Amino acid sequence: MNRQEAIEVIMTTIDAQDVVVSTTGLISREIFEKFDSERNIYVPGSMGLASSIGLGLAMAQQTKRVVVIDGDASLLMNLGSIVTIGNRRPTNLLHVVLDNGVYASCSEERSMSKTAKLEVLAGEVGYQYVRTADGQGGLKRAIIEFRRGPGFILAKIELGGRRDFRRPLELAAIKDRFMLFMKQPTKGDPSS
Amino acid sequence: MNQSDKGVFNVLAGDRSEKADLLHGIFREFGVNFASGVPCGVLRHIIKNFEDDAVVLHVIANRESEAVGLATGAYFCGKIPAVYMQNSGLFSASNDIASLLIPYRMPIFFVVSYRGCEGEDAVQHLTTGRATERLLESFGLPFEVFRNQNLRNLTRSLFETMYKVELPTFLLLKRGWHR
Repeated sequence: MNRQEAIEVIMTTIDAQDVVVSTTGLISREIFEKFDSERNIYVPGSMGLASSIGLGLAMAQQTKRVVVIDGDASLLMNLGSIVTIGNRRPTNLLHVVLDNGVYASCSEERSMSKTAKLEVLAGEVGYQYVRTADGQGGLKRAIIEFRRGPGFILAKIELGGRRDFRRPLELAAIKDRFMLFMKQPTKGDPSS
Repeated sequence: MNQSDKGVFNVLAGDRSEKADLLHGIFREFGVNFASGVPCGVLRHIIKNFEDDAVVLHVIANRESEAVGLATGAYFCGKIPAVYMQNSGLFSASNDIASLLIPYRMPIFFVVSYRGCEGEDAVQHLTTGRATERLLESFGLPFEVFRNQNLRNLTRSLFETMYKVELPTFLLLKRGWHR
């Protein structure tokens, strides 16, 4: 499974009402080009903050499920974030980490994910659902079986894939449409 | 607050600040209902007021960048966040302010303690102290340094500017500001 295949599985398996926060670089650019939607927030700068933004969303709007699509190097850049997530334990947060072991959006320089045991750390700091997935089938199952978070899925991916995606540029407009989306009632939520 | 958390604020037993309470009242007037940051002794009364206020969802962060991310997520859901930190941490979070809050045009109110000013006794604050106002100026962000002006008018006017320009906005507080 490569980045493209993992993103396809995630974006076609999660619920239409779920919110998506994607990390810096090719992950956000691929999602922007292929799966752009009002429910997406891209984090083109401030590398590492996708999971913090996701936690802020999950705590402030508990009727929607928040899916963070992170990378191994960007998670390592803000590793304290998993401690905060484990401490706050939002049940509506699913943190998916695409782990290729490198800074793929740069020039594939090695990250330290190989020795970091990210899935072990996540379990130790308080995530309530932890899975690792090697292929598309396993990733799909891990997403479908997620019920109560915070959840952590470490999806091992291979290198390769397109790099020529356009960039999300109109961030203020992306914010405005996202905030409108957040104001809509969540279907099936008794409090809305 | 559970029992173990109470110890955190023992140092404040009986120590209140009218200015911090006034500031909290203005935060409430402008609807602040989310707070995140990294503690600093200069801001202790402000942080305690956030912690004690049931209307404010208060999340202490490990690093200042995290607080910027948390406040961003909360703002996207319609919350009105305030972020607090020391100016040393403002430099840690400066790229997050520049590359997340400015391009997304996020009106987020920052209360920043201003170390490294006249009378500073800690050498590690001197360089960031000299550079703090110039950092904010170079980013083109609104800020005010509290120098015993009318705190109410100063803060209200900063909030109004923040909503006009839709950018993060900063109130800088020096040691002893709360007296």
